[in-house]
Amino acid sequence: MTVRALQQISTGRNGVGTFILQCKKMDFHYCDWAGSSKGMNGFIKSLLPKFAASNAQVEFAVSPRPSKHPVIIAQYINGREKSICVRNMEPYEILKKAEILRDGSGEKNRRTAKPVQSINESVRGVWSPYHGNGLKV
Amino acid sequence: METIVTRPVVSCCRQAVLSAPTSSRLVLSSSTAVPSGIRQKSTAARTRKALNIPPHGSFLNPNSSAADRNARPTTGQIIYNPPSSAASVFHTPFKFLPKQDPRRRANLASELFAASTTINYPSPTNNPTQATQPDSTSPSSQSPTDLFPSIEGEPRYRARHHLTKADIEEMRRLRAADPVANSVQNLSLRFRCSKLFVLMCCQAPSGHREKVQAELEATKARWGPRRAAARDERRARMGMLFRGEL
Amino acid sequence: MKRLRIDRWTGQLLLARSGPSPASTPRAAALRSAAVPRCTAVRSQSTIAVPQIPKEDDDHHYDGTDHTRFPPLEQLPPRATSLPSPPPERALQSAKLAALHARLSLPERLPLQTLARTLVDASADENPQFSNTNLAFVGQSLINYHVAEWIMCRYPRLPMSIMYAAMKGYAGPTSLHQVARSWGVEHAAVPGGEVDPGLLQFSMHKPGDAVIGFGYRRAEADGLKKHKWRHGMSSRVVFDDDFGEVVDTEDAKDELRLRADAEYGNEYTRSLAEKAYATCARAVTGAIYAHAGRERAKAFVEAHVLSRTLDLSKLFVFKKPTRELSLLCAREDFEPPVARLLSETGRLSRTPVYVVGIFSGKDKLGEAAGSSLEYARTGAAMNALKSWYLYSPGEGVRVPSDMLAEDAAPWEPAYIDMGEIIGH
Repeated sequence: MTVRALQQISTGRNGVGTFILQCKKMDFHYCDWAGSSKGMNGFIKSLLPKFAASNAQVEFAVSPRPSKHPVIIAQYINGREKSICVRNMEPYEILKKAEILRDGSGEKNRRTAKPVQSINESVRGVWSPYHGNGLKV
Repeated sequence: METIVTRPVVSCCRQAVLSAPTSSRLVLSSSTAVPSGIRQKSTAARTRKALNIPPHGSFLNPNSSAADRNARPTTGQIIYNPPSSAASVFHTPFKFLPKQDPRRRANLASELFAASTTINYPSPTNNPTQATQPDSTSPSSQSPTDLFPSIEGEPRYRARHHLTKADIEEMRRLRAADPVANSVQNLSLRFRCSKLFVLMCCQAPSGHREKVQAELEATKARWGPRRAAARDERRARMGMLFRGEL
Repeated sequence: MKRLRIDRWTGQLLLARSGPSPASTPRAAALRSAAVPRCTAVRSQSTIAVPQIPKEDDDHHYDGTDHTRFPPLEQLPPRATSLPSPPPERALQSAKLAALHARLSLPERLPLQTLARTLVDASADENPQFSNTNLAFVGQSLINYHVAEWIMCRYPRLPMSIMYAAMKGYAGPTSLHQVARSWGVEHAAVPGGEVDPGLLQFSMHKPGDAVIGFGYRRAEADGLKKHKWRHGMSSRVVFDDDFGEVVDTEDAKDELRLRADAEYGNEYTRSLAEKAYATCARAVTGAIYAHAGRERAKAFVEAHVLSRTLDLSKLFVFKKPTRELSLLCAREDFEPPVARLLSETGRLSRTPVYVVGIFSGKDKLGEAAGSSLEYARTGAAMNALKSWYLYSPGEGVRVPSDMLAEDAAPWEPAYIDMGEIIGH
């Protein structure tokens, strides 16, 4: 028996096999008194129930934060969190912001130059100067 | 596998480079024959024009006439353009496919003529114009035995089973009598068998083994730090090779 | 954030909604649940604090907290704090649990109470009726069965050691730990009856004595550990667990266990956490099998375990590849392998490259590039052996469990190899 084994761990890619929404919790903070929370209060009254019902994967929490601007804080599976201050915004603007947070992956924003990132090996392999029949120019 | 046979290496890239000055559309500025007043590709338009080379021959329609040589192949055609990369271990060679595998049955006819399963290596007799043509269309143009030089001498792997019990007894007697003169190498030459077979048959006297071991230890003790480290590193590199890290 | 005196606030928003919407505020939900006992699994979408004044009958559970200053976040059933794990009826109130249920797209038939039970490790609750041990045993058997049949049908020539390593790479504790983490499962700092049922609960200080795998304890297990005795592959198949590893008796972990009480985290606590997360992933699979049946469980394993990526060609370590390849060719009646130099460059330079191919007759078995002839030849032999071992009948190869479906096509025998190459 000359073959021995090295131990390696399989790596998962979200979306291959199954997709799991990366946003796991959203906190909505409002203030009863301050004017900057006017839109947020309207959002909580009118739009949040529907938004929460259509996003059952996310845990929602609503809590007051007196004398502060209203804010949406999203927690992600990778352990990071993102927050957006929604002061003086209209309810539908706040809905847009909530959707941005819900659709995020939790990673830091970075520019992606390539359309596809993959851990799969290239189908045609790594180019080698010692193989192939060459191209006459 | 015991021998490494060298053959005249004609790599495809070298072919391309050698044939470049005659038929190239690129202007080589380093060439001595280029006059001093030649213009460089100092604008994007010239670079784009220079890099606008026709596609690989395998992507063109080989049956088209000379007028529309750049015609794309029809949809029913198979483009054969093997990758210029080392073969992946997940591509099972033809010989390793089991008998009932459909790939084996599908490729059996072509494999009778083709030289290799993965990449058709260019041979010295191939001219450069032929190299750009898809090789799958003319697999029988060259016999695969022409590609490889034959191995000199009698192959050593063939077991002859020519030694009798008396021969083995004689081998053991010789080894026990004088282990220095009748070394494993000498015995294998004398009885025309492999050294492994000699080692399987007879064992050196214990005193001789200890002596050889002591000699080896003395030799190792004479090594300086650099030589010892070099041997350690060599062994570590071999381990890395076996683990696929090299 | 500073602790809020919510009872001092007007709470107009907390009282604003009283409709039957699923996103109704918890105060309204609490009011409603106080009036009518909730028997449906309507999820509570919020974990916000609800002011709750302790009643008179709660006084004998007084735990030293001033409840007027620090009101409890949730109304707990009586004696909840004395239980080792949250009572099952609290599962319906947990927003985390409902979110996890939806996130995993679990079937409707799997109730939240069962999902809450999959999150209770045996180290938190020793009672097997409340811990996930039984579900994890079912799930472990299912996962290992599906992974094993998939690997065996897809790569029928793998040696047994590589097979075990691949099994562990897909379904081992480390891999399943990552799977459970990727579901967004969080763990409670300390298990107890008062914590949220949506949190994974396990103890950092005791391992629990739950057995969720097969395998026997060898009589010579101490000698194997102490003197590193040789144990062959056949005995590993018979005695050891599904990954070919000796069933551990936890003796060597005594010292680490002592350190676990003193230090915040060490190797032992990490292994306990990994084990608890992996057990949770297995228990979820077992729960799906128990409530939704075989097909859903298989689909779940395929989606979460088998869809992961593992490069099998990186698992091999060879000892004498050239000799093994010779033995292979002799066994299979191929022509003896011959190494031939295909191309080279820089033979006299500091960085030469040789490309060596190994041929059997006119067929090339493998090739490799190396910085010396010996390295290139060894690498080519290794590649040839890998391409032998990694033969695959195809991506969509059928596995025996496909035959359990109702309208399955007749079974065609899978390819079975005669076995690995036995070297010296």
